Amino acid sequence: MGLLACGSAAAQAQQVQISNLSDVGFGAISNLQADISQSQTVCAFSNILSARYSITATGSGTGGAFTLTNGAANLAYDVQWNALANQTSGTALSPGTALTGQVSGAVTFGCTLGLTSSGSLTIILRAATLSSAAAGNFSGTLSLMIAPN
Amino acid sequence: MSWMSCKSANRLQKFHYNLLIALTTVIALGGPAEAATQGTAGATSTGSISITASVPNRTQITGLSDISFANADPTTVATSTQNDCVWSNTATKGYSIKATGSGAAGAFTLANGGLTVPYSVQWSQSSGQSSGTNLTAGTALSGQVSTATTPTCSSGPSTTSSLIVSIASSDLQNMVAATSYTGSLTLLVTPQ
Repeated sequence: MGLLACGSAAAQAQQVQISNLSDVGFGAISNLQADISQSQTVCAFSNILSARYSITATGSGTGGAFTLTNGAANLAYDVQWNALANQTSGTALSPGTALTGQVSGAVTFGCTLGLTSSGSLTIILRAATLSSAAAGNFSGTLSLMIAPN
Repeated sequence: MSWMSCKSANRLQKFHYNLLIALTTVIALGGPAEAATQGTAGATSTGSISITASVPNRTQITGLSDISFANADPTTVATSTQNDCVWSNTATKGYSIKATGSGAAGAFTLANGGLTVPYSVQWSQSSGQSSGTNLTAGTALSGQVSTATTPTCSSGPSTTSSLIVSIASSDLQNMVAATSYTGSLTLLVTPQ
């Protein structure tokens, strides 16, 4: 009887949430001969039993490409995801393609109350790209969607 | 009894959940405004960030080769031409070029001890040229435009420009035979 009653609680709608995202500003890049990256710890929460989720990144370039633009030229960047907090590297994401099998360590929506954050996002501008990049101020947006998995 | 325990637990869990949502709202309202968009809880959740970067003006000159006027015939001008690669990442791909010799005050001269001989330097923004614009030592020639698509012309056009160095016949005639005159020429390109 107890199992049946608690089982009904487990039938809550599967919900996920990604939050604690911050904008990324590389500023004026003086050394175009080296990779430059910025990482941030975010909150990826999944309330399903296994806490599993998938993440899909989409850039603002053509077809969702991970590119910034200065209006005349593009600047490609890489996106990496790590299911753990405080990481500076992870699995490379492809635009529009879900990375499955991620497991959240978050225990609350929004990772509130100082509880565990989960997920590291790393944006990388590669030297190979920078060294031949056109001059200018580049900008773009990156959307991140998580789903129960 | 067991059913009642789970029901109570569910109520407590719901209370905690509501409390967390409320606290989250308070924290969110009290936090700094950001352009980043936070995802909301749901069957899927999407957030977004902006990414910005600034790339400075850059230029590069490569493909330079040493020049040797060996056994130059003093009855005719001695000329050496070479194709180089100049890359500029500005919107116009523009650049200026300034040449400086190793002579006094940057003069275009070769020397052997106290012996000197002048030479001239020409520059063309196109490759395969046998003449160009005369450069004055230490003075930038502006308004040049590159066709390079990569910094070292590794793809696209393999060369973009021409460097022409000459020693006039009259100067060759003033040189001491069987004597080596040496010097260096520095080329500075600046994006425009």
